[in-house]
Amino acid sequence: MRDVQRKDPFPYGDNLCVSLEAVCEFRQTSGTTGQPIYQADTWQDWEWWAECWSYTLWAQGYRPRDRVFIPFGYNVFVAFWAGHYAAEKIGCEVVPGGVLDTQARILKMRELRATALMGTPTYILLMADTAKSKMNIDPSGLGILKITCAGEPGASIPGTKNRLESAWGAKVFDHAGATEIGAWSYECSAQPGGMHVNDAFFLVEIEDIDTGEIIETPERRGKMIITALDRYAQPCIRFDSKDIIEWDSKECACNRTFRLIKGGVLGRTDDITKVKGVLLSPIAIEQVVRGIEGLGDEFEVVVDKVGYIDRITLKIELLPGMEKRRSAIDQILKDQLRLQTNLGYRLEYHEIGTLPRYNVKAKRFKDLREHS
Amino acid sequence: MEFDNNLSEISAKIQLLKKTAVELKKLGENFPALEKNIARILASLKMLELNISDIVDLSPDR
Repeated sequence: MRDVQRKDPFPYGDNLCVSLEAVCEFRQTSGTTGQPIYQADTWQDWEWWAECWSYTLWAQGYRPRDRVFIPFGYNVFVAFWAGHYAAEKIGCEVVPGGVLDTQARILKMRELRATALMGTPTYILLMADTAKSKMNIDPSGLGILKITCAGEPGASIPGTKNRLESAWGAKVFDHAGATEIGAWSYECSAQPGGMHVNDAFFLVEIEDIDTGEIIETPERRGKMIITALDRYAQPCIRFDSKDIIEWDSKECACNRTFRLIKGGVLGRTDDITKVKGVLLSPIAIEQVVRGIEGLGDEFEVVVDKVGYIDRITLKIELLPGMEKRRSAIDQILKDQLRLQTNLGYRLEYHEIGTLPRYNVKAKRFKDLREHS
Repeated sequence: MEFDNNLSEISAKIQLLKKTAVELKKLGENFPALEKNIARILASLKMLELNISDIVDLSPDR
């Protein structure tokens, strides 16, 4: 994709499958794996995006009576753009929280009595923290009933989901999509411990990472290969998303027949790295940290080398008033990390509020080994 | 389900709307307000086709 783009027809190159005149929407990827990819959409493609998101929001209980606040910096990233259009399409009242800062957004939500919210799990946690620590506002008293999270897998990670739901007193739902693919998956209001694949709009296959064999049996992990069935300007055919997923064997209590992926997106093939010869997924660390009472929401993982030996440092924040429990928390954390990841960690405690906060996709995993 | 029994009829109406929209588009070639709004109507009709007509076309008795 990167090789064919930035050429004529500029900037999409000959990957563009319609005339330039038919293109009416530009988006780009965040470029976390290199140069951003430009994404063209026709108006019909854009209608299709909103339709896919409409499936998501309807399944999560969004209805015309909802007032949906979208605290997103409307820009070149697709993020919650289609969520905005889908909420309109369903008939909700949409409040764009564009250029407002976090505190202004919270005040606007309170002023307008918003009932629903969309954002990355990281930002929704940051909003809750800002409301409590800087504004003396309890977010669970704001009247938010449901929150749709996207951009990161946090809302499917039990520890993170619990923190989000308890902070806001709301149901929190996961959703997965990508610029080059579309909005392909969502958690429904039954919260089945996974997400439905939107089988009406996408063909999802799971491929064994080593052999390339297509996996059809449940509970066997592989990488997702996906085809968007009705996207025209830049079609998405058997795209290697690098997302790791597995089919769930159970049927969903919501009675939808769209297939379930167990636990949502379980990681990314390019995130999984070998440390001390063991495969490590940052999601496993998030699950542990967010599941321990007494720790703040933020954390950072740094992998470097001491001589020839890999070293993992986990930076965490201890909540105020938890100093006396520190040694107990320390032990629980080490035990859980060992259990979940088979690795030992150097723990580094930081004051609450001192680790980096992210408004968009969080970058909590730093592998410094290539540079050391 | 009663809804299932109506799908063919709904799909037929969608096709009728589409036919009318395409004819209007042809008539509106030099009439931007007509042509551009019809383009949007056709995009919405495509969503109806994806949701309903495609299902009818896939049904085994067709």
